[in-house]
Amino acid sequence: MRDLAIERGMKAWMCLVFGFLFIPIFVVVAFSFNGGRNLYVWEKFSTVWYTVALENPTVIRALWVSAESALINAVAAVIFGTLAGLALARRKGRWTRPFATLMFFVLTAPELVVGIGSLIWFDQIGFTWGIGRIAVAHSLFDIAIVALVVRGRAEGLGESIEQAAADLGAPPLRAFLGVTLRMMLPAIVAGGLLAFTFSFDNVIISMFVQRPGATTLPVHILSSFKTGLRGDVAAVVVMALGITLAVILSAVWLLQAGSRRTGMDT
Amino acid sequence: MKRLKQSGNASPGWVLSAPAFLWWSFFFLLPVLAIVYFSLADKGGYAAEQAVLFNDLDLDNYANSLTGPFFAVFLITMRTAIVGTLTALLVGFPVAYTVATAVRRKWQPVLLFLLILPFWTSFLLRTFAWRIILAPEGPLSMFLQTVGVLSSPLGILDTQAAVQLGIIYNYLPLSVFPIYAALDRIDPRTREASIDLGAGRIRTFIEITLPLAAPGIAGAAMLIFVLAAGDYVNPAILGGAQGLLVGQLIAIQILASQNLPLGAAMAVVLIALLGMVALTVWLLVLAVKRAMKWVWDPGVHADRKVLTERGSHA
Repeated sequence: MRDLAIERGMKAWMCLVFGFLFIPIFVVVAFSFNGGRNLYVWEKFSTVWYTVALENPTVIRALWVSAESALINAVAAVIFGTLAGLALARRKGRWTRPFATLMFFVLTAPELVVGIGSLIWFDQIGFTWGIGRIAVAHSLFDIAIVALVVRGRAEGLGESIEQAAADLGAPPLRAFLGVTLRMMLPAIVAGGLLAFTFSFDNVIISMFVQRPGATTLPVHILSSFKTGLRGDVAAVVVMALGITLAVILSAVWLLQAGSRRTGMDT
Repeated sequence: MKRLKQSGNASPGWVLSAPAFLWWSFFFLLPVLAIVYFSLADKGGYAAEQAVLFNDLDLDNYANSLTGPFFAVFLITMRTAIVGTLTALLVGFPVAYTVATAVRRKWQPVLLFLLILPFWTSFLLRTFAWRIILAPEGPLSMFLQTVGVLSSPLGILDTQAAVQLGIIYNYLPLSVFPIYAALDRIDPRTREASIDLGAGRIRTFIEITLPLAAPGIAGAAMLIFVLAAGDYVNPAILGGAQGLLVGQLIAIQILASQNLPLGAAMAVVLIALLGMVALTVWLLVLAVKRAMKWVWDPGVHADRKVLTERGSHA
């Protein structure tokens, strides 16, 4: 009886914590549909702030800057991260330890440090392309993320199929493209989608490295918090949430579908 | 290079990892070194070409960061980060424990995914939410005044307390994962055995579960502490003028005051502090592990002794 009481208490606590985590998110979503002039005082349901937000050229421009830099960042992360992830899973050697150490520092460095360092360095080497600066600075962390995701999948799959392809006479490049990459595809795409969302949501690094005229959506949102809160900010924030959520859910779905398919194969 | 390797696509690992390695070296290592170099320089004039002066490298910026009002912000930041980390661990541990021990296997990944989902989606939105909830004319304030708990509007917003709350809220999900991973590795039979042997629930928890979960707890603590200590978004959105943390202070030096060298020095101090805390936590975990070996080993030796004695009798 006592065990049951303890277990019930623990589950109740868990539900409370889940409520604590999710209720604020629902509050923002709900209040973004508040038609009143004052964001905090609920008046009536309305989508007026979404119209206001979408008619604001600064918002649209910032949205494109975010999307473009997130996409370039994701491409870089996928290329470098996939190769590194495969190497970490399949071709360990003397290089592994220094590489893993560097990767650890990239993963744990505070964003603030990455932001400041990138700002100083880009200015020093004369790298002035706004979107490129954001993409490169974001890609550092995201390469590591893709490498971890790809390594996880490569270790889970084993190398037998690739060896079979080589034994059957497939030339190296063809074995790599046709077998290795195809088997890794769900992990690579999922890693790329994660890289996209991390970049799309990033505030701190973008804030440091951005150039005039190339402001990302989160930096725009942050600066509009400071000038005063209106419903259009809530609407923009909720739309950004929708984009991130869609991308993340497809990444998870891909990873799941990928592991299920190979589960049936073996 | 006369003999080619037999296996077809055997490009060595360092070739595959070289692009990432070079990319990180050029865009991560060199920038970090550049921060250190700039932290030794001096603030120049307001013209862009001479904003930083290198003719006189010294540690003045470090002296400035470690004294007076700047250092006070460092201390407040450390306190906020420590309180935030401990609270997140206290709130998150029971959740991790419940998911690992009291929830069916099938549902565990679903719950974990739900926990990480808010963390993966817009950090800004989750922080912004508290500006609505805590606003003096907002829903919580109105409710508390109607119920009679408060006689005047809620005044938490734009204070240290709001920043603390935001940090706990934002990083709470991160406490669950490492602890869950550690608890999940513990064989349930270890706990059962301990209880069967008469240790009781509380003693089992303190002497078996907690030490075995220690690495996970330490991992969670490190993760949250590092992120909270370098946080910019929470103080910027929820702190107002009163709730300044070091992340924001550094950003102000660099983006508003045009004092890049001072900001760089503060960033180096922040990294050093984080490194010291990481080292301390790591040593603590080592100590716990050693203590556990010391507690468990005598038992092992006793068992062996019994066995060998039996062997000699036979």
